[in-house]
Amino acid sequence: MTPQTVFRRLQETGQAGLGFALILLCALWLTLAGSAAYANSHVRAPDNAVNSFDDPDADGPPNTQGSESRSAFWSALKQGDIATTSSSTADGKAMQTLGEQWRLFRTQYILKYSGWVLVGVVGLLMLYYLVRGPMKIKAGRSGKTIHRFSTVHRVAHWFIASVFLFLGLSGFIIMLGRPVLTPIIGREANAILTSAALQGHNLFGPLFIFGLIWMFVKFVRGNFFQMVDFKWIFKLGGLLGGHVSSKKFNFGEKAWFWLLMIVGSVMSITGLIMLFPWLFEDLRFLQASVILHGLGAVTLLAVAFGHIYIGSVGMEGSLDSMLKGEVDENWAREHHDLWYEEVTGKPASEPATKGETP
Amino acid sequence: MSFLEFVEGPLFYFSGTVFVLAGLWRIIGLIRLGRRKDISEPKGSAAAGFIRGNFRHFFPRRVFTKWMWMHILGGYAFHIGLLVVLLFAAPHVAFLSDRILAGFSWPALPRWGFIIAAEFAFAGLIVLWVRRFSNPVMRLISDWDDHIGSWLTFIVMLTGMFALQESHDILRAIHMLMVDIWLLYFPFSRLMHAFTFFLSRGHTGATYGRKGMIP
Amino acid sequence: MSQSKAEIAVEKFLEFTDGEVASFFESCVHCGLCAGACPFYVSTQDPKYTPTYKLLPMVKAYKREKAPLSKIRKMFGLAPDPVTEEELLEWEPLVYDSCTMCGRCTTVCPMGIDIAGTIRKMREGYAAAGLVPEGLQRSAEFVEKTSSPMGVTLKALEAQIRHQEKETGIPIEIDKKGADYMAILSSMEIMGYPEIIGAYAKLFKKAGLTWTISSEAYEATNVGVQIGSGPLAKSIVKRVVDAAEALEVKYVISPECGHAYGAIRWAGPNLIGRQFKFDVIHIIELLDKLRREGRIPAGKKDGRKMTLHDPCQLVRRGGLLKEPRRLMDDSCSDFIEMESSGIANICCGGGGGVSANPRAEELKLAAFGQKAKQLTGIDDLEVVIVPCANCRTVFEDGLDEYELNYEVLGLGELVAATLEE
Repeated sequence: MTPQTVFRRLQETGQAGLGFALILLCALWLTLAGSAAYANSHVRAPDNAVNSFDDPDADGPPNTQGSESRSAFWSALKQGDIATTSSSTADGKAMQTLGEQWRLFRTQYILKYSGWVLVGVVGLLMLYYLVRGPMKIKAGRSGKTIHRFSTVHRVAHWFIASVFLFLGLSGFIIMLGRPVLTPIIGREANAILTSAALQGHNLFGPLFIFGLIWMFVKFVRGNFFQMVDFKWIFKLGGLLGGHVSSKKFNFGEKAWFWLLMIVGSVMSITGLIMLFPWLFEDLRFLQASVILHGLGAVTLLAVAFGHIYIGSVGMEGSLDSMLKGEVDENWAREHHDLWYEEVTGKPASEPATKGETP
Repeated sequence: MSFLEFVEGPLFYFSGTVFVLAGLWRIIGLIRLGRRKDISEPKGSAAAGFIRGNFRHFFPRRVFTKWMWMHILGGYAFHIGLLVVLLFAAPHVAFLSDRILAGFSWPALPRWGFIIAAEFAFAGLIVLWVRRFSNPVMRLISDWDDHIGSWLTFIVMLTGMFALQESHDILRAIHMLMVDIWLLYFPFSRLMHAFTFFLSRGHTGATYGRKGMIP
Repeated sequence: MSQSKAEIAVEKFLEFTDGEVASFFESCVHCGLCAGACPFYVSTQDPKYTPTYKLLPMVKAYKREKAPLSKIRKMFGLAPDPVTEEELLEWEPLVYDSCTMCGRCTTVCPMGIDIAGTIRKMREGYAAAGLVPEGLQRSAEFVEKTSSPMGVTLKALEAQIRHQEKETGIPIEIDKKGADYMAILSSMEIMGYPEIIGAYAKLFKKAGLTWTISSEAYEATNVGVQIGSGPLAKSIVKRVVDAAEALEVKYVISPECGHAYGAIRWAGPNLIGRQFKFDVIHIIELLDKLRREGRIPAGKKDGRKMTLHDPCQLVRRGGLLKEPRRLMDDSCSDFIEMESSGIANICCGGGGGVSANPRAEELKLAAFGQKAKQLTGIDDLEVVIVPCANCRTVFEDGLDEYELNYEVLGLGELVAATLEE
């Protein structure tokens, strides 16, 4: 047995371990999800919790809703026509409606569409894959590699990646658990799942902030706008064919980097506001945070799906850069020609072939 | 008996017993394998070397920190964080005191303290694990035991975190189930390094301590 | 029924897995830090040169056959497969060509695992099974014929001694019974750096001590230790012990050679199973002692910019850290340490039988690149003091390969040259 075959075998067993771990994780989620019936009888509710979802008084105590409609009166109150106030938050209206608008925006837009946006992005990527297939290395693998990312780069990347994925999943449960999961797994199971996801989400949040800073420090070099990026934008990154030049990072990668940095910062700040709502007396900060956090999450997740696609099945050879730190010379030549020329000193127009000395 | 009572009671005591007995068996087995006698004339003390070797390897040499820092920080964050969470989180103190130590108790950390420790533990474990699959050296030398050990520990920590609200028994039960599985796996796996490290460091310390050097 | 090679090797692996080695195998967490300390990995960036990976066949044998609870693991199908001969053959270059047993990996290991010492034990299995690189096998055959791995005969030695007597004008007596000290030399010194013999004569005359060289046992290099053959190592040590005890000397002086020192000083008594009737003292230890006793006072210092290479087997694994530095301070006025000198120093790349193994030539020179980096890190360096004859030859090859121009000197020669007139 050669060391290489042992290497392969170890890798296989390593992947088996990985698989096992993933199965465990799935089992865990399924246990959570499938435990609805069981959980019904074993909930230890907080003191102030509503103990039953079948409470006949859920819609409020009887005889509190009045007997006549006075819509004109309420409308006047909302618009500040019949009463004024000295409160700075209420814009001189006795009845502030921002909360209601916030609630409506959240349920009518974010909760309604964000799931579909993500499903749509995944659908588009699948369609693209089916129509155009994976992007192959045209000249084939040369077997020779050049260094792209150091171990620290790779660890920083996978650190934020794993935290991001966990936050995405738990955030999805928190935000869409009620409309999406409740009909499937029931209210109790969703309540349990949401409690778990919320605790996990809160604890992983600070790790994301740490990862974001680490990522910025390690990757900001090479991610500034360069003249060659104009061409990339005009050719839409070669999405529809044609060759696009780029240095170490192309415009797509740069855009993703800055998007992650900016939206990630927004997510961090709004997340902290939601974690520590008492830091701001003005309720509007909290309301805005909830909205921005949801919008940001959908944006980041949608783009991340594209990033994951192109980093894995979508493009041959790109995953190497993050697993080994080394990329095939022909990959570099085809996707980052200017960087390839800079690093190797060879023209990118000639394919590197096997056996050629560097 | 409810599921929670089962995983906190009989199953926990079973796993705990396996953990202790198999762990002791393994350590005693290692010690019983003995050590080749060295009759060369010593320059230093082997016994002192055993102790010094153990301390020496807590602290990396400065020339190496340039490329080892990430691993060092990750390793210490994880191990210290986990130890603090394990021993000083209020629910853990209550559980250990109630189930094992017959009422003996010690002060727990305030909630924020143990949350911070947990942050460090998670950050460290994630760094250690992603390093394991994104580095060619680590990919070559890692085997299933390394991955399962990391993941089991991670899942134990994760389910513990899920149960933080302490409002659903099932979450606590799942955490305890994972703990029981972890305890069963521990003594048969590389997780035993938590106890065998003092032997390997000590042996090297003793061998070279005799020669007047702690490498 | 005859055993297969794999069975022979595994039997030896298990025999040499005592509680110490077992604790290493049990506590390795596969953190991979050792790779960064290994000159072979650092210069090639090939993951298979990760030190802990080199031990894999022995680890497998242990985990399958000897580890506590291995039976339970076997029951669950969790024990490793048996070690095969093909596997051993694939690992042979890792065990012999890419490990100088320098032990630098131990200095970074969080578990303090002595990988180098374990490789030495692993080689016992390989040697017993006859899976040894040709170059080392040839050295072993030379040793059996002439006692020297390079085939240095007594006649050749005598010629070198006479030449040195003429150079220094000091007589050197062979086989002088009742002398206090008996010097043994490495073949490399006799062949390549005979000036050291003259240096000994000069220094010992100044110190006023009586010394001799044995015609029966003048060779210090122990190929048995390099190949990993206990019986061969024992016979080589035994030859020296017999000669020294026959001449009734009080001390045997181990020369400036790394493995030779470990072989006789630390492994020797364990190999022959009893303590010696004399003490083993390393030449650097002896010179340092004489210097501090005022018997070889230092004269005018050498003014050139010098640095000191720490041979792994003398420093990290031998315990001689301060002695060479005190001698350096006395002998030169511009002594500068290289980066990571001392315990964590980088190996020359040719110890542990690697330089005697022609197949490993390319690897050895690649590994020397790390050494070259340390040297070029010192501005205007002129001289490197290398107190190990084997390292010295590796330095000469390596400096040539990397087109570096430093003078390479032994420490004994430097001390002799700067002795008070």
